[in-house]
Amino acid sequence: MKRRLLIILLLFIALISKAQDKECFGLYSDRDLYASGETLLLKVFVPVNELSGIVHIDLINSRGKIITGISKKIINHQADGFIDLPDSLSTGCYLLSSSTKINSRITVKEVYICNRFTGFPESNSLLRSSEKSLLVEKPWNEIQINGLDQVYKTRANANLTIHLPSELLTQIKENLYVSVAEIAPGYNSQTFIKSTKPKTNQNVEKEGIILEGVVKDMKTGEPFKNGIVYLSVPDTFPRFKYYITGSDGSFNFQLENYFGKIPIVIQAFDREEKRLLKIILSRRDSLTSSLTAFANWTITPELRKNAEDNIAAVNFRRIFNRQELTVLPPPIKKTDAYPFYGIPNEVVYPNLFIDLPNFTEISRELLPGVKFRAYNRIPTLQVFSPALHNFFNEQPLILLNGIPTRDLSVIKDLGSKEIGRIEISHSKRYYGNLIFPGVVAIYKLKADDTQLTESVDLIKLKLDAIQPEVILNTPIEHQQLNEMDLRKVLLWKPTLTPEQTIKLDFETSDIRGNFKLVIHGKTNDGSIFYKEQFFEVN
Amino acid sequence: MISRTLSFITIFMLFVASSLTAQDELPKNLNAGIIKGTDFIPYPSYSGTPYLNITYLNGEIEFIDGSKLNNLGLRYSSYRDEIIYYNTFLSAQIVIDKISLKGFSFIDEKGVNRIFRRQNYEGYQNGDRYFEVLSDGDVSLLAYRKVDLATCDPSYSKLGLAYQPSYFYYVYAAGKGYSQIKINRNSLLSKFDKKNQKLVKKILRKNRVMITDESSFVLAWNVIKENGIAINL
Repeated sequence: MKRRLLIILLLFIALISKAQDKECFGLYSDRDLYASGETLLLKVFVPVNELSGIVHIDLINSRGKIITGISKKIINHQADGFIDLPDSLSTGCYLLSSSTKINSRITVKEVYICNRFTGFPESNSLLRSSEKSLLVEKPWNEIQINGLDQVYKTRANANLTIHLPSELLTQIKENLYVSVAEIAPGYNSQTFIKSTKPKTNQNVEKEGIILEGVVKDMKTGEPFKNGIVYLSVPDTFPRFKYYITGSDGSFNFQLENYFGKIPIVIQAFDREEKRLLKIILSRRDSLTSSLTAFANWTITPELRKNAEDNIAAVNFRRIFNRQELTVLPPPIKKTDAYPFYGIPNEVVYPNLFIDLPNFTEISRELLPGVKFRAYNRIPTLQVFSPALHNFFNEQPLILLNGIPTRDLSVIKDLGSKEIGRIEISHSKRYYGNLIFPGVVAIYKLKADDTQLTESVDLIKLKLDAIQPEVILNTPIEHQQLNEMDLRKVLLWKPTLTPEQTIKLDFETSDIRGNFKLVIHGKTNDGSIFYKEQFFEVN
Repeated sequence: MISRTLSFITIFMLFVASSLTAQDELPKNLNAGIIKGTDFIPYPSYSGTPYLNITYLNGEIEFIDGSKLNNLGLRYSSYRDEIIYYNTFLSAQIVIDKISLKGFSFIDEKGVNRIFRRQNYEGYQNGDRYFEVLSDGDVSLLAYRKVDLATCDPSYSKLGLAYQPSYFYYVYAAGKGYSQIKINRNSLLSKFDKKNQKLVKKILRKNRVMITDESSFVLAWNVIKENGIAINL
């Protein structure tokens, strides 16, 4: 009997330990102390078994609210990027979290940000995270760093060689991350692991971020079933997606291979046009549910001095608009061969004709088979169907600069001088399970969406899609001595190919202080190793 | 009683442990291809059929980006060279935009998988056409399943018009283009050098292949292809 109990207990422990030993994210920033308005550089090692293709890195305040964040494509189980720290951030401890949509384990790194207008608080104490479940990393002392001196002059060249032991080289799974940056004296930020509520029934972000939300009935406040949600992205050929909501009223759109900031418009409406709907977009989970613990910590005079110097340097860089990073162009997205509403039957260029004051005149004079009338101040639009030998009874799909609009009042006052092109489709068009009784696509000469007003059922936003790749700007050759070089990060190689001998060089800036060279990597068993070496610039 | 309790504890522990390890949900496909098309307008009724397959058959379409959608009811209109699909949600017949497709396939009544590929035809009446791939390779054997609405003997059709098959067969190689071929032995032989023609005849004789119809022609083509005899395009 006892033996059976023992076996069961062992089995249970084995399974539990398996669950606990799961790989976690490795999250690194270039520095620990920042001033608002600066750029924070990031590197993430992603667990090998991660199914998501996108990792989110968020900047969270001490109350658990997401301030800003980025999404990066995971390539070879790693990602790197940057966060522009808003100028308005108040001084305090912030958390960087790396997470995916489906992984309930997140890695959190503490950073301290000083507002560049107010600096450190007058009191000598600050709140710091006091989490206990710290991310364990293994120092690998066998890594040799040759040629890195103890002390450098400002604007001096440093040439160094990293020798990786062959024992380690066979174990390294991914690229190495190497950085040389200034350190804040007496302040070492901590990285810890947190578990959030289990993420079940989540869609996996494979090729792009997923935009989710719920559609509710404005009157009852209940989730609305069979609501139609449109997502449109204005482009050369406008992009369009739709979703028909289920009983829970939820919708989601996967935005594949979109990079940078993209303008999108989301609209929701009742198919039977009886109810007014409200769109509620989901936000990424913050740490509110599992907020980290904080404790008081004393600011050292050295740290205060370093922060003040840092703020001065940031202000200088901002005044002279020194760009720290160069954003690389994102991969070219193959454009669609034709618009989502099909190849038009007619294309009319109204601005080439005489000045017509409104759309009624344009439809009468220029648009074959399009009837736009405004009897009793209620505008109607119909398209002639050659197959029916009559006009469609229903309103066609009307697009204004690629964005569907059901409100005809937004087009009724458009004159021929404002419109560059009108595309007309006379046939009944199908797009998935949607039917459009004809299409009238109006493209204004000036591509703006000001005519479409935001409301509960129409949301316009600039969405942060996948962040494009960046490289750290190195000093321009023969930079004049009277030009200040205030770089705090001297070297940033987030994806360095591991080799037996790696040669690196960098140039020190005009910043005097203590710097650290750090190498991070990941071995086959998922553990993260590091090696660091300090030097001084005076 | 004790053993029952033990079993219960075991199941409970396993459940707890598995719930701790469980994290990854099955991915849902949010990138399912969207079919774009227009309303199908029925053709005028005459003798013959404008379709290759009169009923909707289960098939698959391949979009330009390589993504595929299967389990669709498909019907190929030989008359208009268009693929029609039946949307069960809308109960509508939809002509899929030709420009959006790379090709399609369906299984016919005999259980044969019929594969069609959209290709640009550069000859007379150039443009995109759906070609049935009879044999694929560096040099492909293609069929253009055209049906014409042509005048006919009033004894066949009272209206004097009928849908009549007018199939064209081509030998196609990328970069070299199309070369028309007829379904007979002489036409097949004409695609080979004088030197190889004897060899082809010998192979066909050896494999007892007699070209009488389309299927025997395809069989002959495949036999020759297996023997690696160069085709003259």
